[in-house]
Amino acid sequence: MEDDYKFAASTFFAKNHPGETCGSNGLPLTPSSITILGRSQRLLQIEHPNLCTYLDIIRGKHERIIVVAEVIGKALADYTTKFSYEEIVNIATQIACGMKLLHDGDIIHRTLSDDNILLDSNGRVKLFHYGMFYMTNEGKEVPFPLGLPRYFSPEAIIGGGGPSADVWAFGIIILELFIGKLWNNLKPSPTLRRILTLVHSNNPAERIAREHYALDAYKGIPENIRGIIEKCLRIYPSERATFKDLHSELSIMNTRTPSEIKPVRGLMGCKLQYLYHWWQLAGGDIQAELKKNGLIKNSPPILSMPIAILLDGPTIGGKTGALFDRRIAKYSLDLLKNRLSHIPPSDFYPLMHERRRDYEAMALPKIIRERDTEYQFYRLLWFQRLLHGYPYTAQCIRSEAEIDIPPLVRGDVWAALLGVLGDIDTHYERIDKETPTHTDRQIDVDIPRCHQYCWLLCGAEGHKKLKRLLKAWLLTNPQYVYWQGLDSLTAPFLYLNFCNEARAFACLTAFVPKFLHKFFLKDNSAVIKEYLAKFWQMAAFHEPQLATHLHDINFVPELFAIPWFLTMFSHVFPLHKIVHLWDALLVEGPSLPLFMGTAILRQLRDTLLDSGFNECILLFSDLPEIDIGECVKESIDMCRSTPKSLSYRRFTNEPEIKDPMVSGVHLGQHELKSLGPQSYKVLVEAVRMNKIIVVASAEDGTAQLFSSYLVKCMVARVCVLQGGVAALHTHVPSLFITQRKTAIK
Amino acid sequence: MTATELENATKTFKFSFPTCTNEDLLFKLEVPVEIPYPGSTRELVQRILKMFHIPVYLEDELNEKLADFVSEETRNFHHNRDATLIDQLKNNELDLEGIIKNWEKQFKNVVDFAEQKGSSDEEVFAAAYHKLVHSPALETILQVESAYAKTVMDMIQNRDDDIRKLTKRQTEEMEEKIRLLNTSTTEEEINTLAAKHFEAQSLATGRWDSQLDALKHTQRAEHRTWLMNAINEYQTEEKITPSNSPLCSYASLPPAPAAPATLLEESFTIHLGSQLKQTHNIRLVCADMLDLCARDRTDGGLSLSLYSSELSGAVVVCEGRPSRSPLTSLPRVTDHHFPDLHDQLRRIEEAVADPAETRNRSRGERESRRRALRAGDVFVTRHSNLSQHVVFHLVADEDELRSAELSSRHRAVLGLREVLLAAQRNDVASVALPLLLRRELGEDATAAWCLRRAELVLKCVKGFVLEASAAGGARLKTLTAAVPREARALFPALAALLPAVFRVAGPLRPRLPSHEAPRPRV
Repeated sequence: MEDDYKFAASTFFAKNHPGETCGSNGLPLTPSSITILGRSQRLLQIEHPNLCTYLDIIRGKHERIIVVAEVIGKALADYTTKFSYEEIVNIATQIACGMKLLHDGDIIHRTLSDDNILLDSNGRVKLFHYGMFYMTNEGKEVPFPLGLPRYFSPEAIIGGGGPSADVWAFGIIILELFIGKLWNNLKPSPTLRRILTLVHSNNPAERIAREHYALDAYKGIPENIRGIIEKCLRIYPSERATFKDLHSELSIMNTRTPSEIKPVRGLMGCKLQYLYHWWQLAGGDIQAELKKNGLIKNSPPILSMPIAILLDGPTIGGKTGALFDRRIAKYSLDLLKNRLSHIPPSDFYPLMHERRRDYEAMALPKIIRERDTEYQFYRLLWFQRLLHGYPYTAQCIRSEAEIDIPPLVRGDVWAALLGVLGDIDTHYERIDKETPTHTDRQIDVDIPRCHQYCWLLCGAEGHKKLKRLLKAWLLTNPQYVYWQGLDSLTAPFLYLNFCNEARAFACLTAFVPKFLHKFFLKDNSAVIKEYLAKFWQMAAFHEPQLATHLHDINFVPELFAIPWFLTMFSHVFPLHKIVHLWDALLVEGPSLPLFMGTAILRQLRDTLLDSGFNECILLFSDLPEIDIGECVKESIDMCRSTPKSLSYRRFTNEPEIKDPMVSGVHLGQHELKSLGPQSYKVLVEAVRMNKIIVVASAEDGTAQLFSSYLVKCMVARVCVLQGGVAALHTHVPSLFITQRKTAIK
Repeated sequence: MTATELENATKTFKFSFPTCTNEDLLFKLEVPVEIPYPGSTRELVQRILKMFHIPVYLEDELNEKLADFVSEETRNFHHNRDATLIDQLKNNELDLEGIIKNWEKQFKNVVDFAEQKGSSDEEVFAAAYHKLVHSPALETILQVESAYAKTVMDMIQNRDDDIRKLTKRQTEEMEEKIRLLNTSTTEEEINTLAAKHFEAQSLATGRWDSQLDALKHTQRAEHRTWLMNAINEYQTEEKITPSNSPLCSYASLPPAPAAPATLLEESFTIHLGSQLKQTHNIRLVCADMLDLCARDRTDGGLSLSLYSSELSGAVVVCEGRPSRSPLTSLPRVTDHHFPDLHDQLRRIEEAVADPAETRNRSRGERESRRRALRAGDVFVTRHSNLSQHVVFHLVADEDELRSAELSSRHRAVLGLREVLLAAQRNDVASVALPLLLRRELGEDATAAWCLRRAELVLKCVKGFVLEASAAGGARLKTLTAAVPREARALFPALAALLPAVFRVAGPLRPRLPSHEAPRPRV
C-alpha cells in the first residue's frame, strides 16, 4: 500500500572545497555540508498542508547530506492515468497554495517537477523536498545542477531566475498534465535549446503544444485554465502571474471541496516529528534503507585514494564526485507500530489529572531512558499535554522535569522552567542587533571558538545567530559587560532554539539573573569571590579531606573554578553533557552549581589527593572526562541534604531564607592553630551516623577555629551557627535549654 | 551559475509623515536598503524608529510600507536582471553554446543524465575479495596467498644467492688478475674483464628480475581467476570453503618469522578537543619506518580490512623522484590487488609532472627540475603486500630536515598536515609517521635536538589531528610515532614527552562509593 509510507529520505554529497581551505580570517573554511545543515534548519520549522514536512537533515561522513521528509501517496510522474479537468484544477490549486507560502517566506523552489509533487488517493497534494535550492544556497554548495531541464525557465538557463522561474515550472507542469510529458526522452542540452528558442515566440505555451503535435489537445483545454498556463509561460518574468494571483484564481475555479479527512486517532494521529523520533528509537535506520536501494554505495576507500597531493597545488587522482541520484527511499512505520502495538488506545490521550504513572524504565540512568522507545512515547505525550497548558501547568512541568526531560521538547521545557512568557518575538524584534559596538571585535574572536564541534554552531548561520543573541543581550543589559564565557553560556540556548532566536534570547535573559546575578558586572570580583568562597565551603562540608588537601597545597578555586561558574559549566563540557547538567540546574535552583562543582571534585578525588599543585593545575587546564549522570545525581543529593542557609549568598536574586533554626552559617578554614579540644563522644557518634554537625559558640572566632579543625580531621558535614548560641535563643527560645558549647543537631 | 552574477542593489526607501502641528508640513525620511534584503524588515523598522525618533504610532504603518517596499524592489530586482538577460539572449549577445555546454557538463553529475557505466574490474574484484575474506574461506585464502608469497620469497632468496655467488666468483677472478698485473696481464685486460663482469651482473639481475616479474604475473592472474571462480561457487552453492585451489599442497607452512628483535614500544590513550573530547591512541615505537611497512607476518588482519573503511597507512620521508622511493628496496611478494610498486611509481611520476610544473611556476621558481615534486608534496602508493595499506611519501630535503631550526610552517610539516587531512578524508584510520622526520640519525643529532624535533612534530600533529577531526570524515584512531633505532637511548625521554604534549587519559582507578568516605580521625 502506498499510504503505508510515512516518510522518505534522499541523499547527496555537498561540494568539496578545492585545495587549500582557509578563509580570509585564517580559519578553515566551513565545509559545504555544514552550511547546508545550518540553512536547512529553517525548513524543519515549516508546516503547511500542501508541503511535506521536513523531519531531519543528517550530515554523514565525507560531506554526505541525508534529507528526511514526510511523504504521502505517490508522485505525479508515477500516475499513468490521465487526470480529468477537475482533478487538474484541484492539483494546481494545491500546488499554488504551497508555493504561495514558500514565496511569502522568500524560499525559491527551483526544483519543482512532476516527481516531487505527491498526490494521494484522497486528492491531497503535497510538495516534496522543496527546499533543495534554498538549503544549498542556490545550488552553490553542491557539485551538481538542481532541477530537471524541462522545467527550467529561459532566464534560469542563462543565469538568472528569481521566484518567477517557479511560476514557469508550474505552467509547464499544468501543461504536461493536459498534453503529456514534454520533450520526452530528450537529453538536457537539446531540451534547453528548445526552451531558449521559445523566447522568440509570442505564445510559448501554444508553441510548445505545436512542437509536440498537440495543438488540438491544447486548444481543447478549457479557456480559463489555458489562460492560467499562458500567464505562467510568459517569456519576461515580470509579465508572469504570481502564485498569490494564481492561487486565488484557481481557488475560484476549483469545484472540488477538499474531501474532509477524518482526523486519525491513535498512533497515526501523533505529530509526525514524534513518530519519526520514536521510530528511530525503536531501531529505525535511515541509512540502511538508503543502502538497500543503492542510494548509498560504499566504494572501498582504497580504490579512490589520491596518488599525489601537491602543497599549494591540486590533489591528483582520488575520488571522482559521486553522481547525484534523484531517487528516494521510502519508510513505513511498521517497526514502530509493532513496537507500540500493546499500548491501549486510551494511553494516547493522557489526562492531566491522572495520577503520575510509574514506568519500569524510571530506575534506569537518564541516558538509557532517553533511548527507550516506550518510555519516550509516554513522556513525550505527557509533556506535550503539559506544555499545551503552560503557563497554568508550570508547577506540573517543574515536577515532571525533575524526573527527566524528553530531548525532543527540551527547548520548550527549559523555556517553561525559566518562566518565559508573553510576546517574546516582538520584544526581541525591538532590540537592535545590527549597529556595531565596541564589543563586536571580541565577540567575533570568541564565536569561532565556541562549541565548534557542534555542527549547528560551527556554520555561518550559527555564528550569525550567536552574535545577534550576544549583542541583543548586551544591549538590554547595559549594567553588564561582555565577559568571555558569555558566548558559551548562550550556546546551549541557541542549540536548543536554533530557529527561535527570540526564545533563546528570552531564556538567556531569564537565566542570568537567576543563576548568575551580577556575574557580568564590569567589576565582578566581589561576586565571584563570594561564590568561590561558598563553593569552597561546600567542598569542605562534603569533602573535608579533599578540601583540606587542596587548601594545604594552596590550590584555591580562583585557579580553576571561575570558568565553571561564570559559564555554569558550559565552557568546560560538551553540549550533550551541559543539557543534562542544566536540566537539573533549572529544576533545583541557583544553589546547585556549588554542589556540582563539589561533585566534580569528588569524581576526581583520588587523582587530586595524589597530586601536588602543578599536577592539579595541569589536570584542570584540560578537564578529564566526567560522568555527568553521576555528577548530577550526587550534586542533587548533596544539595538536598545541606541546610539551605549554608549556600545562601548575598549576591543573589533569591528571597532571603527565613529558616529560624540554622540561619547564616559560615565555614572557613583559616590559619589553624593547634586547638586541643577533647573528642566528644557525641561528636563521634554524629560522624558515624552521617549527621550534620553545627558548631555553635558564643564567639564566632572560636567556632571558626574549631570547625576548621574538624574539617581538617576529615569530618564531613560541619557547619557553624552564626551568631553563636545566642542566635538560637532569639529564634526558638523554648528549645533553648542546654548550655553546652557544641550543639548537635 | 553560468552568466554574470548581478551585484545586489541598494534602493532608497522614502517615507514621509505630517508634523503634529501642520498637516501640510511633512517630515521626510530616506533610508538606503540593500536589495534583496537579507534580514527582517520589521527589525529594520525598529532601528529606524529609534534612530530617527519617529513616533511609535507610525510603527505599524512603517512596518507595512517597508515590507511592501522591499518585496516590490526585490521583485523588480529579479525581473530587471532577468529581462536584461532575455534581451541579451534575443539579440544574440550571449555565448549560448558555452552556456549549453556548461549545463551539459553539469548534468553529467546527475544519475538520470549521466553515461551509464558499470562497476570497474577493480570494484568487482574488490567486492568479491571482501566478501570472501569475511567468509569461512578466509583461511584458505590466507594459505593460498602465503604459499604464493613463499614461492616469491624463495625466488628472491635464490636470486640473492646466485648473485652473491657470481659476485664472489668475479671478485676472486679479478683479484687473481690484479695479482698478476704487470706480469702476465695488462691494464687493458683488466678493464675488459671488469666490463665483462659488469655485463654478467646486469644480465643475471635482469634475468632474475624478469623471472620474478613473470612469476608475479602468473600468480596474479591465477589468483584472480581462482578467486572469481571461488566467489561464483560461494554465491551459487553456498559452499563453506572454496575447493580446487590452484595449489595442490599448502598443508603446513612454516610459521612466519618472528618480528625482528623486541620492539621498544609504549602506548597512550589521549583525549583531544576542548569541550567534546575525541579519543585517539598514540603509540611510540623504536623502529625503522621501512620495517613498519615491510610485510613481516601474515595474520590476515590487513586482508580483512583492505577494502574496509579502516585502512592503515605510513608516512615515509623521501626525495622528489617517485621512482627512487625507499620502498623499492623492500623485498616484495606479489601484489594481487594493485599494480606493482614500480608501475605505480611510474604512473605517479607521469601524472605529477604537469601539475607540479604549473605549481612551481606559480611559486615563481625558476630552478632546474621544474617538473619535479618539491618539499611538502606527497605521493601515495597502495599495497596489499606490505603491512600498510597505504604509504604516504612525504617529499623533503634531507639537508633541511637535518637543520636544527624547523618551524611549524616548514614545508615538510605542512606536508605532514596534508597527509593527516588526506588520511582522514580517505578513511585511513591509523597512521604511522617518523617522529623525527628522518630515517636515520647522523652524528649531528644530539639528544637535545631529537627532543626538540619530537616536541615540534608532536605539537603540530596534535593541531592537525584536531583540524582533521573537525572536517568530518573517518576518525584517526591510532597514531604511531616511530623513532629510528639509533635513538633507542632516548626512548624514555620521548615517552615522557608524549603525556606532556597530549592530554593522556589517566589510568583507571577503582573509585570508592562516595558515601563511604574515609573515617575521620577524631
